[in-house]
Amino acid sequence: MLTLAYASGVESGPDDFALYDAEPDDASLARRIAQARPGAAAAAEAELYRRLAPRVRLYGLKHLREHQAAADLVQQVLLMTIERLRAGQVREPERLASYVLGMCRMVVLDLQRAHARHERLLATFAQDLRGDQSAGTPLLDDASLLRCLGRLPERERAILVMTFYDDRQARDVAVDLGISEGNVRVIRHRGLERLRECMGMSEAAR
Amino acid sequence: MSYGDCAAPIPPVTLLAYWLGELDEAAEAQLDEHLLGCGECAAELEALVELAEGIRRLAHSGALRGVFTDALTKRLTEAGLRVREYNVPRNGSVHCTIAPDDDVVVARLEAPLADVRQLDLLVFPAEGSRHERLEHVTFNASESAVVVVPGADLLRALPAATMRMQLIAVEHGSDRLIGEYTFHHTPWAHLQQT
Repeated sequence: MLTLAYASGVESGPDDFALYDAEPDDASLARRIAQARPGAAAAAEAELYRRLAPRVRLYGLKHLREHQAAADLVQQVLLMTIERLRAGQVREPERLASYVLGMCRMVVLDLQRAHARHERLLATFAQDLRGDQSAGTPLLDDASLLRCLGRLPERERAILVMTFYDDRQARDVAVDLGISEGNVRVIRHRGLERLRECMGMSEAAR
Repeated sequence: MSYGDCAAPIPPVTLLAYWLGELDEAAEAQLDEHLLGCGECAAELEALVELAEGIRRLAHSGALRGVFTDALTKRLTEAGLRVREYNVPRNGSVHCTIAPDDDVVVARLEAPLADVRQLDLLVFPAEGSRHERLEHVTFNASESAVVVVPGADLLRALPAATMRMQLIAVEHGSDRLIGEYTFHHTPWAHLQQT
């Protein structure tokens, strides 16, 4: 049976990739897992998990728009990925992202079907049975965000808030404001750059 | 792709379009794969997602202020927030407050906006004090109203006061007064004592 306990870290063993390569790419880690006895490349598996987990989670948030479902996706996809790497079933480790994408798509379809069943059940019961949809502890400082939003020109702030509040596309914001979609994109672009710079997220701020 | 060393970084504006579902199917699939293989671009996207989550938190805490549209306040209401709304006629006044369980207070300033290109909002915090000018505020000309969200935390800290707002159309570099709006604010606690 496959076991993974990477969230809390693992001890370095004889497979410690740091002994061979200061910063191996994803494909090198995948090869190391495939070439080792099943489960013997623990450090490589932990590192690959650490790298892939946030990326798969983002894929899940993008396509499922729900934090718990995205967390489920991470668990399922990375368990399968490590299991298949151990079994030597990933033929082209250099195309690992493509392989993981294929599994993400497959699992997302399963989760969407399960979610539809879940929603039907929820609809049967009270509204207050719905779980917390928050992402957990915020990583962003809200006071800084509020200050930076306050520094934006009015239109840029309004359009960013209207965009980000519930992930609305430019064409929807354009309809709300009675202006062109292109105009919304231009203002949104300017506002985003200013906000990222103020928050220390832009290239210039690095 | 190597870790932390992207050969073709995706610009934030493209990452945002991807996140919002604005790209075509082929471009989206290409970015799906790139982001699964690139820690650097995935971290950039994650930062954008955190911005969105931060803005939602601010909106839900009542800290956001600005000039928006009815569409946004409708979505706040749909999200379960308690929105107190005041419709203020052009050149009219309103008695207003904020209750302890209000999440957001909205002032809808009625105004004829059909021919307006640029709209500025002047805020006079109290009688005789200096005003603040918000330039190029957002509005939908067909809705004949401007939606002002003053910020629930600021309103809660206000004593009893009279404030004014003016909507100004900017035409060929000169100002045209569209309407003036007066707010007689009373703190909730004062209302309970009377």
